[in-house]
Amino acid sequence: MRSGAVIALLTASALAAARPAPFTDASSLGHLDSDEQRVWSQSNDMVLALQRGGVVYADPGVTAYVQGVMNRLFPQFEGRIHVEVLRSPQLNAFALPDGHVYINEGLLARFQNEAQLATVLAHEGTHFTHRHGYQNQQSVKDNSAFATFGAMLGIPILPQLVAASSVFGFSRELETEADKGGFARLSSAGYDVHESPKVFEHLIAEIKVEDIKEPYFFASHPKLAERVDNMRKLAAGFPPGGAGTSHAAYAQVMGKTRVDNLEQMLSMGRAKSALLMLADSEHMSELPHAQYYLGEAYRLRAQPGDAQLAESAYLKAIADAADFAPSYRAVGVLYIKTQQYPAASKYLTRYLELSPDASDRKYVESYLAIARKKETQ
Amino acid sequence: MRHASTIILMLLLSGCAQQQPVRVDTPRTEGPDKNYSVDLPLGWMKQQLTDKTMLASRDGPLLEAIYIGRRTAKEAFPRIKKGAADNMLASELAELEIAEVKSQDTFTAALTVLENEPALVSSRDAFRIKVSYKNTRGLEIDRVIYGFMDASSYYSIQYIAPKLYYFDRYYPDFEKSVASFQVVKK
Repeated sequence: MRSGAVIALLTASALAAARPAPFTDASSLGHLDSDEQRVWSQSNDMVLALQRGGVVYADPGVTAYVQGVMNRLFPQFEGRIHVEVLRSPQLNAFALPDGHVYINEGLLARFQNEAQLATVLAHEGTHFTHRHGYQNQQSVKDNSAFATFGAMLGIPILPQLVAASSVFGFSRELETEADKGGFARLSSAGYDVHESPKVFEHLIAEIKVEDIKEPYFFASHPKLAERVDNMRKLAAGFPPGGAGTSHAAYAQVMGKTRVDNLEQMLSMGRAKSALLMLADSEHMSELPHAQYYLGEAYRLRAQPGDAQLAESAYLKAIADAADFAPSYRAVGVLYIKTQQYPAASKYLTRYLELSPDASDRKYVESYLAIARKKETQ
Repeated sequence: MRHASTIILMLLLSGCAQQQPVRVDTPRTEGPDKNYSVDLPLGWMKQQLTDKTMLASRDGPLLEAIYIGRRTAKEAFPRIKKGAADNMLASELAELEIAEVKSQDTFTAALTVLENEPALVSSRDAFRIKVSYKNTRGLEIDRVIYGFMDASSYYSIQYIAPKLYYFDRYYPDFEKSVASFQVVKK
């Protein structure tokens, strides 16, 4: 054996020896050294902060469903990997070193089926079982960059914990290991592994529409396009088919989450992301008052021609549901903006008839006053 | 309270020219660029955070703070990368301001809008919103924001304080400041 190869082999062996062994089951979690115990303690501080801060999504049915998928993927760790849903439209998920996994409402809403959800949970669960957070925290010498990241995001997270969580992604090596380990879990649990590349395709589409230069979520290392290729290669060895592909079954569980997320996206001005979601014909067909939301997304995007698209969508929404008040308000305000005062009066009046206790009644009354004054001029 | 500190941190990171806090010893205060004047509560401390933002507080910005900001219409809502326009309705400006606050961090993203109504500030059509959210310790933070357009500028006047004890105690002082606010015509 050549000396270079020997050195490489020894180095690889030394590195492997330095890495903590993956947890094998729940019983193996009791043997932590003091450093790792400290990292777990920091994780708990963040768990408490997220709970106290009111950002955990309060739908027990959805949380139980997501937890059930995690338990199916990691049966040896049932009761030790805790999944929570966060009220955020960003497509993100992350794992803390102590086995708490967080997945954003936005990601849940965007998936088309359970197998896609399982792909992300398997990946994040593998970060935990393979102790990636602990390893990363040990390898990071300077936490100052992580401190800035935490402050910018407003996440109540110590710099050391940022390094130890998968919030900003890990090294290429650890992310690849999580992809492979997650893929094995997905396959063992009987899910259709051919759904896994689609998860990353959702992320790529989101990044394009939101013009995100460097995604900070779990998809930054290796690059997304490369991960789609990796997932396709891994899946190529498996025959078609598997569990978790029903769109209807998933939509039944996530119906309210999708509406909540869409409303959250629109209230945060994320019109392009909302349009991306609504471009999925399945989302449109399953969503109540979809045309109204489509109109709102066009109005908020405010590109040339969007006002006309919004008007058309609002009018379709009224045709679909004549007693849904927000559509009347939306089209009425649009007519105020375009100085079509008689039409504005008609729709805003109807809005107040349908919704006499509307929280925005004062605004609408002021717009009605403008419209009526202009009509008489 | 974390959110006030986040705002300050962001301002510090932006490399702006920050001045030392000074006590409010005369009622009338001019904005940093003399585009507006306002009565701030006597005895409070005021500080020019940037050439566009002024802070006033009695016990410290984590306990109660008034922020007055003026931005160009084009950069009115930087977090959501949206501008404002002179022909926008007050409710449209309110909608963008809510989106801006929600985009501040993980916790404000979960805010609840308690009130949203038309208002008048310096004789201009404005909005007034009141939102509430929790910080990392579960402490409820209330925030009232007035906003309006004047020609090519977007003005916002905000009051942020913990709901517990502080918000109600100094809210009347904030409302007096809003009532006294005047855009200076140059």
